[in-house]
Amino acid sequence: MNCRETLTMLSGYMDGELDLVHRMEIERHLQSCPECANNLHEGCAVQKSLQSQLLYHAAPMGLESRVLAAVRAAEGTQSHPSRRFVRPAVGIAAFTGVLALVWFAAARIPAAIHEEATTQQVVSSHVRSLMVNHLLDVGSADPNIVKPWFSAKLDYTPPVEDLRTAGYPLLGGRLDYLNDRPVAVIVYTSQKHVVNLFLWPTAGPETKMTTRECRHGVRLCQWATDNMTFWAVSDLNAHDLTQFAQAVHAHVSPLDQCL
Amino acid sequence: MFTRKRHSAFEKAVLPHLDAAHNLARWLTRNDQDAEDIVQEACVRALKYFAGYHGGDSRAWLLTIVRNTCYTHLRRYRAHELTVPFDDDILNLVSDAFNPETLLMKSVDTAAVHRALEMLPVEFREVIVLREMEGLSYKEIAEVAEIPVGTVMSRLARARRRLQTCLTESHEKGVHREL
Repeated sequence: MNCRETLTMLSGYMDGELDLVHRMEIERHLQSCPECANNLHEGCAVQKSLQSQLLYHAAPMGLESRVLAAVRAAEGTQSHPSRRFVRPAVGIAAFTGVLALVWFAAARIPAAIHEEATTQQVVSSHVRSLMVNHLLDVGSADPNIVKPWFSAKLDYTPPVEDLRTAGYPLLGGRLDYLNDRPVAVIVYTSQKHVVNLFLWPTAGPETKMTTRECRHGVRLCQWATDNMTFWAVSDLNAHDLTQFAQAVHAHVSPLDQCL
Repeated sequence: MFTRKRHSAFEKAVLPHLDAAHNLARWLTRNDQDAEDIVQEACVRALKYFAGYHGGDSRAWLLTIVRNTCYTHLRRYRAHELTVPFDDDILNLVSDAFNPETLLMKSVDTAAVHRALEMLPVEFREVIVLREMEGLSYKEIAEVAEIPVGTVMSRLARARRRLQTCLTESHEKGVHREL
């Protein structure tokens, strides 16, 4: 065995990963070659220093609870509705008509309650964001900074657009927690008013843009495309808020402007 | 939905290895904030893949996901780090380092080792971290890094030689300073 072969296999020798034949060949070479023997000693010294606890980056305090929170949030979005309805086909057809009627009536009530709860959360979050110093987690007018920041923290990537030319400079974004899941909030300004744009993925149908007034003079404009729900909230007047929403929609879904 | 039983199985598989996950992510990204974000993202990914995990070494399983998450991150934001040229010839690496009198490495200082390891290209850094810090076998490293066992051995050999070269140079600089 020559020096080149020995050097290539020296690591395997040090780690006890060589078979007996190669181990013996290396030992024979080391006995006759002081240079390779010296390399082995150096290698062992480097190996020992690499195993120092001072080089080990253990998880910092708080990472475990952060991971648990993220995992729990992700669990909430991991339900499989299709599985819940898997039942033997026999008998189902007979009940379909009845079920459809009951469901039609019942679905309206929880949906309304759910929407009211979401409204309260969105409005509270908007007001809170203006009161305390928690408007932005990432402050940047550059969508190329804001967007990757979100994609590292969420299980979806929100569309972040530069709307400066439309009169709505981007301030940045923050994470919020809505309906048991983390959501992206993209923050814009319009004539010195802050607009919080909440958005999260949905599988529901597209819905038209509607603007309404909530409490505290806060207005809300909501719509949904085929895979994303948008709630814009601000103290802009209804006309200006709708214009903002249309600008967002035109940039996010340029092919679908007749919503 | 996750059952409580499956949830506790997931926590048992993942939480004991957060140190190893963070250590690998920190060495691959060389950035504290990125490492924490990656561990969090990797654990959420692990949750998604947990149905496909059927026992076995949960540390190697988690490290594979952490490693892949790191590479996705590096490819997206720091692609230049993945294409660092590296001298392939093992004999060239320590051409003039043979000097048994000056280099016994008995008192290699940790800061110098830290710097030398950070300077290694990422695919060499990862085999060193998995072998020296986590004590994984070549077979386990091959699975985590998705390379053949023979490549694990040659990468480790070259990585160690490169570290020796760097440390020799920094050691010599230190000697010159003292003089």
